Amino acid sequence: MTIPVEKVAGPGRKNKAAFEWTDEHAPEDFHERLFELEDKGELVVQRISGDYIEVPVKYGRTKKVPIGHTWHHKSCGQCGHIPGYSTSIFWVNRKLGIEYEDPRDQTSCTAWNYYASATSNAAAQASVAVRNFAAAYESGRFPIIHCGTSFGHYKEVRHELLAHDHLREEVRRVMDALGKPLVLPEEMVHYSEWFHAMRLEIASRQVRDFSGISVTVHPACHYYKLVEGDAIYDPEVYGGQRTAIVSEVAQALGAEVRDYSTWFDCCGFGFRHILVQRDFTRSFATQRKIRRMKEEADPDVTLTHDTGCVTTLDKSQFAAKAQDPSFATIPVMSEAQFAALAMGAHPYLVCQLHWHAADYKPLLEKMGIDHERAWAQFEEATARLERGEQQYLTWEDADV
Amino acid sequence: MSATANITPVHADSAAYKLGTTYPDVPYEEKERLFAEIKADDRFSDYLYGCYECGICVAACPSARYYDFSPRRVAQAAAREDVELIYQQMQEDIWECSQCFSCLRCPRGNNPGGIITVMREVAVNNGLESARQALRGYTRIIYKIMSTGTQVSPDMLQADAFPDWGPSVAMVSEKLELWRRALPPDTHHTTTTGWEISTKTLVELYLIWHKTGALNMISELDPSLHSLLEEVMEDLLDEEGYELD
Amino acid sequence: MSETVVVIGGGPAGIEAARAIADLGLRSVLVEQRERLGGTPIFANYAALTPYFEDAEAAMDGMIAALSERQLAEVRTQTTVTELAGEAGAFTVTLSDGEQIEAGAVIVATGFDHFDPGRERQIYNYYQYPDVLTLQDLEAQLKTHQVVVPSTGKPPERICWVQCVGSRDRNIGNEWCSKVCCGIASKQAIEVRQLVPGSRAYIFYIDMRMYGYWETQLYWPAQEQHHVQYIKGIITEVLERGERLIVRGEDTTMGRPLEVPMDMVVLSVGMEPSAGTKTMTDVLGVEPNRYGFIEVAKPPLDTVSTSRPGVFACGAALGPADLEDTISSAGAAASKAAALVRRASLTAA
Repeated sequence: MTIPVEKVAGPGRKNKAAFEWTDEHAPEDFHERLFELEDKGELVVQRISGDYIEVPVKYGRTKKVPIGHTWHHKSCGQCGHIPGYSTSIFWVNRKLGIEYEDPRDQTSCTAWNYYASATSNAAAQASVAVRNFAAAYESGRFPIIHCGTSFGHYKEVRHELLAHDHLREEVRRVMDALGKPLVLPEEMVHYSEWFHAMRLEIASRQVRDFSGISVTVHPACHYYKLVEGDAIYDPEVYGGQRTAIVSEVAQALGAEVRDYSTWFDCCGFGFRHILVQRDFTRSFATQRKIRRMKEEADPDVTLTHDTGCVTTLDKSQFAAKAQDPSFATIPVMSEAQFAALAMGAHPYLVCQLHWHAADYKPLLEKMGIDHERAWAQFEEATARLERGEQQYLTWEDADV
Repeated sequence: MSATANITPVHADSAAYKLGTTYPDVPYEEKERLFAEIKADDRFSDYLYGCYECGICVAACPSARYYDFSPRRVAQAAAREDVELIYQQMQEDIWECSQCFSCLRCPRGNNPGGIITVMREVAVNNGLESARQALRGYTRIIYKIMSTGTQVSPDMLQADAFPDWGPSVAMVSEKLELWRRALPPDTHHTTTTGWEISTKTLVELYLIWHKTGALNMISELDPSLHSLLEEVMEDLLDEEGYELD
Repeated sequence: MSETVVVIGGGPAGIEAARAIADLGLRSVLVEQRERLGGTPIFANYAALTPYFEDAEAAMDGMIAALSERQLAEVRTQTTVTELAGEAGAFTVTLSDGEQIEAGAVIVATGFDHFDPGRERQIYNYYQYPDVLTLQDLEAQLKTHQVVVPSTGKPPERICWVQCVGSRDRNIGNEWCSKVCCGIASKQAIEVRQLVPGSRAYIFYIDMRMYGYWETQLYWPAQEQHHVQYIKGIITEVLERGERLIVRGEDTTMGRPLEVPMDMVVLSVGMEPSAGTKTMTDVLGVEPNRYGFIEVAKPPLDTVSTSRPGVFACGAALGPADLEDTISSAGAAASKAAALVRRASLTAA
């Protein structure tokens, strides 16, 4: 079953016209309060100083996405367990000649911990966020956020800081002790929104043919289910009735995007569950997501745009298959890795697919990639490290 | 307001939510006090309006599918200020929430997941045994964040920690140091942290946790972890020229 | 001083008010923006009216015929009001074709619009799946006396209604209850069960608003004679699986999640202030209430006077209303307007 990503129309829909948001139906825009507080001197707003692209978001509004000169707020789970994810984000930026910073003065957003254990409080969470924003601000580069959880959590933090004077004061005291300003960026930008904004640019550099690749998309809960106004909604995609994130990138790369009935379901990450109560996570991920995708859409790959979702969907499948050999697995990756592969990235030296669990080799074959040769190249490169010829592999090494 | 205030306690093995209390040994005043703490949180009034029992939150909730868990019952108990029921939920239900916020589809604007976040914080702050149990095995993450500034690290990928994730974990673990050096981004060559973080940044994070009281929560949860952290951070603070007030 | 009352909006409220004015011996001018009278019941293809099941088109035609029999009642179609000057007892009403009418009072009867499911926050996929309909989409089918699943053309085996779509929702901004949808959905369920005896009908609700006699006119017969199933728990998602739709909700009575197949899903969309109402509050200088309907100046004992003396409102322009409310408020507006005009004439004389 294919989804109609073009505007919905047709004989079955005589009584329905296309839907369009008008300003009168949009709820309050957080920018009003943000700039109001800035005027009062209560906080500093970091603005996007360089070139940007405007993308459509919910309620018929738009949002600015900076193109370059960005400060990359990294994700613990990506850098730690799915390093091909962050590597691909940086690789695509580099290929497009974009200037960016990969900072060492960035902490985890600590939201995974917060949602898992609640061993924190509103002030701590807000202070961690603001400290990171201050670091970006001081570097003169606009923050772009790699993780869906960080993105969602920071939106929550922004909302709380704008609404509660009390909290702002406490955070200000903490920032004063650290010698940092109370900064909020004028937009909360997720890296997948950058990929969305740059999709045509990315597609113009595509070297691998994805027209035979079918894809299911899993949108991250924290991207669009909380503080909804920031998420990308495009009237040209799903009639603007679902977030267009990831889907539009996959489409731009020529892949066929397929629908399935549990599109809106969480992946089952659970924050705490994936670490200490995994029976829930893997049951949910395999029964509600993977199995349904397979039965209803049978895609070559499933794409998502968040650390937790990639981890959950990718890692949960082994146990299901061990229990039931007829369980058909689906490879899982981020759209960043998918886009990188489209642009000719090395599946191991860049996309680090060897860190993934679900079998991705049939997908690579379909993409026309000789994965055995690619693996040999990877082993050759790491052999140089083992022999001490180099300490680390470089970006040049990755483009073998 | 609680309907259960003057009813004779029934046995703990009676069906959940019958009139009566399932925690007869805990004084009613204690349950009241805990709820008062929840209610006093700044965010509580953002998270709870009224509930007309439409069930949308339960329908959207992943945890409701696999557990006897209901965000609707959490919102209802909170709205009714039924301290007995709320105490029971704190002991038995709140750790099942996936924190996915699908329940924000609530047409009244309630945030049951958010109410649960506050309930969890209060449970941890008050040293509830169920909170300790739920987070047993989890405290290594807290130690990881506090000592490295990232929540997970490559060296956590070990086959005995994640046996159900398949052979890729063992492979990564075996080749970890080599495969990390094979990563192009120069902040990614680490094994004990997610990415390379400057010591100053680490210290700033610690100061944040100290000043906002988050560190105290850790001592409630795991006192030995807390002292270990204090030891580790003392040196770093010294190095960076900070003093804890 | 003018013995004319201008009535704006030619739906049931406006027609009733205009006829009542004429019956009270004054001249009424009914201004309607569309090409004919009848309002929403005609233009949204209503089949049978709630709760008496009389034919909507016949009922409206009857009202329109009665109006045309009154010499004192005039009608201007394809016309709108563009300006209102003067004061109570001595207004000048300017129409879009340039005509100016001296009127003693004005009655606004600009009705409502159906909520557009595109703004809904639940996942109903109205624009994606042909088998998801709104109440008025189903009325259009009922008017042909044939109910079929749009994508297959066959009669439905399983059909459900989802209540409160676009109503009672803080995030969408439509916090009110639209009052009539529970009755209308029940009426439709009864009709479908009659037309398609093999069908199973379900209504998913938060509360069943069955005011007064609706309890026994609609609710009890729906359950008892027509076996319509009422399930407390609103559907949150309508999805496609294979060839069929599935709906997801919580069966709150049984305390468990619910996921069942349906052939057709009907969204009980609420009433919103119409585009005409919003324009007229500006043009006429009357206060809207916080929801965009027309503010009643002295509730609860005066249900039709607006913030501008001499301008009255009736029907769904005031807020959600059923047909009986509408006819009653139209009568009240007509009587107050006529009284004002009479008083003004007497003082002038």
